Amino acid sequence: MEESNRMEERTSAARQQAPLLEADGLTKEYEDGTLALNKVSFTVHRGEIFAMLGGNGAGKTTAINLFLNFIEPTEGEARVDGIVTHKEPLKAKERLAFVSENVMLYPNFTAIQNLDFFAKLGGKKDYSKDDYRDVLLRVGLEEVAHSRRLKSYSKGMRQKCGIAIAILKDAPAILLDEPTSGLDPKAGREFIGLLEDLRSEQKAILMSTHDIFRAKDVADTIGIMNMGELVMQRSAEDLRGEDLEKLYVQYMAGHMENTPESVPHEEEPAMS
Amino acid sequence: MFKLLLDKELREIVGTTKFAVTFGVCAVLILLAFYVGARNYDISRQDYEGAVVENLRQMEGLTDWGEIDHRIFLPPQPLAALVSGISNDIGRTVNMESRGELRAEDSRFNEDPIFAVFRFLDLEFIFTIVLSLFAILFGYDAINGEKERGTLALSFANSVPRDQYVLGKLVGSFLALVVPLMIPILIGGLMLPLLGVPMDTNSWARLAMVIVAGVLYFGVFLTLSVFISAMTQRSSSSFLMLLVVWIFIVLIIPRASVLISGQAVDVPSIDQIDYDKSKYSRQLFSERMNEMQHWIQENRDNDDHGQFMSAMQEFLGRQQDDFDAKMRVLTEKLNEQRDNKAGRQQNLALALARVSPTASFSLAAADLASTSLALRSSYMEAANSYQVAFAQFMQSKNADTQGYRFRKHGNDEVEEPEEIDLRELPEFTYRPPDASEAIGASLPDLGLLLLFNIVFFAGAFVAFLKYDVR
Repeated sequence: MEESNRMEERTSAARQQAPLLEADGLTKEYEDGTLALNKVSFTVHRGEIFAMLGGNGAGKTTAINLFLNFIEPTEGEARVDGIVTHKEPLKAKERLAFVSENVMLYPNFTAIQNLDFFAKLGGKKDYSKDDYRDVLLRVGLEEVAHSRRLKSYSKGMRQKCGIAIAILKDAPAILLDEPTSGLDPKAGREFIGLLEDLRSEQKAILMSTHDIFRAKDVADTIGIMNMGELVMQRSAEDLRGEDLEKLYVQYMAGHMENTPESVPHEEEPAMS
Repeated sequence: MFKLLLDKELREIVGTTKFAVTFGVCAVLILLAFYVGARNYDISRQDYEGAVVENLRQMEGLTDWGEIDHRIFLPPQPLAALVSGISNDIGRTVNMESRGELRAEDSRFNEDPIFAVFRFLDLEFIFTIVLSLFAILFGYDAINGEKERGTLALSFANSVPRDQYVLGKLVGSFLALVVPLMIPILIGGLMLPLLGVPMDTNSWARLAMVIVAGVLYFGVFLTLSVFISAMTQRSSSSFLMLLVVWIFIVLIIPRASVLISGQAVDVPSIDQIDYDKSKYSRQLFSERMNEMQHWIQENRDNDDHGQFMSAMQEFLGRQQDDFDAKMRVLTEKLNEQRDNKAGRQQNLALALARVSPTASFSLAAADLASTSLALRSSYMEAANSYQVAFAQFMQSKNADTQGYRFRKHGNDEVEEPEEIDLRELPEFTYRPPDASEAIGASLPDLGLLLLFNIVFFAGAFVAFLKYDVR
């Protein structure tokens, strides 16, 4: 009950400020007619975690790609701290950190060298090796691995390294595309702890995931996406006591009955 | 930002095992090319000096200039050690005659045909084959490899301008590969004088330009690799495409251009021209015989033997001059016709071949090393000029080596003949074009290589601006 109250207070405090991440009628239709995203709108405030659930091809990654301006919207806008991403992409990206599902990083660089390069690329030039060590320890990478080349890393270790890069950038908004896909259960739990820490640092976090249980554990708002549409968006408080898995299956099934045509996918042609 | 990307590119390439292994192999091959080239030059120089001495030795003890069998030789060019060009294919020896058409014989490959089969491991080979593959090996996944590793998306999740990224990629990979390659090339260059290759300022300037041409050629394949990498999504696709393109550029286009030009312009063979000349010569000989019989019949009543012989020698001399003049006219006409057609064929072949940067590099390097197609003509021009001096000398010695000569034999007291002084023989010198001429001749091909670089660089730049980084 105490935890529930804390969450409610935190959410209402965050919502009094302007949203940091904003999807406003985001639509993406490709040249071949595929509707990857259809009028999707949501907001993510400082200190809030928004988890997007959905199957493969639901449009989760497309939404993240629109925030990163890897593709441009057909209609609508993605905004970061009020900056329209496709109009001022470089400015918007200054306020974004990103962790992708499959990041190999530079296999011939050590973890510290990778961190150093991406931190500098993100505009952080004053970090010391100790800072890099600290953040690697924070994401759960033991010190003995810090000076090893990444080609000897497992997928989970590389994923931790990717998360460390996002933390180092110290951006107000973090985009996570299937961040727990390579992590074992223990590392997954540690990752949830990390997300909670980042939330307490007032980061706005948008996360796409297949993992319903972790989403329920950590998210403040949960959205279910199917065939390019945001078919459900409710706060974690609203969902308390409900069976999210059952709800997820119901929404997916219901939506499929309503819209049998238009099958979006995420391996679409390149943007210009 | 650019410096950061450049630094990353340098460290990413140089820090790999792939780089260490391939650079090691290339360095050994480059040093080997310099060493083998210097040894080959030494052998060619010894052959040349031996042939000159042997030529004089064979004429020692002769008492009549008319009996000499004089030959001139093409001296080896120092940079032929590194860029052999056509220096091993053309004849090096010319049998000198006072008159008539000169021909160069005894090419290096004629003596050592095994080299014609496998050719030499020279610097040109290292650049055209080995280093072009080296460039492809490090450039084929420059862009799509980053995409496959997820580092492209991660990089562009930051405020990174695309133009700076691709510029850092192109310049960084160029510097990371070219600067290390300069080390064995410089060591090899310094080895040349130590191994006995005479390197004057002229030769150093040429060698420096050969290396510039090589760097431009290497740049063509590197920018082409980045370009194709930025046009494809998967590194396996770009590698396959680049291999096919490499085969066409390096192996197919230069050879095909010669075949196509051969089909397009028909050039009569030397044998055909020789046959035509021989036929005409036989016809003239028959006419000469008739004229001579006619002259003998007209002069048979001359009882003064000495006057008869003198008149006959004069008549035969006029006949010979007439024959030479007619043959010269025919030869010049046939040669001109053949040269014109061969020139058209050659120009067409070169124009087609220059579609390939390999042809441009080979032609530029051969021009700079004075082993290009011009070597044959410039050697023959020098031989023909020498023939004029030689003919004048022989005339001054009353020792024309062709035609009819009659000696007056009588009962006069015979003087002991003196040995000829071979030091009087005009000296043959072959002067290759100097560095400025050679560089001037290579400029069009150097310009083409630069153009290829600019086109592929621009292609890579534009393709990357539209590249899907996801």
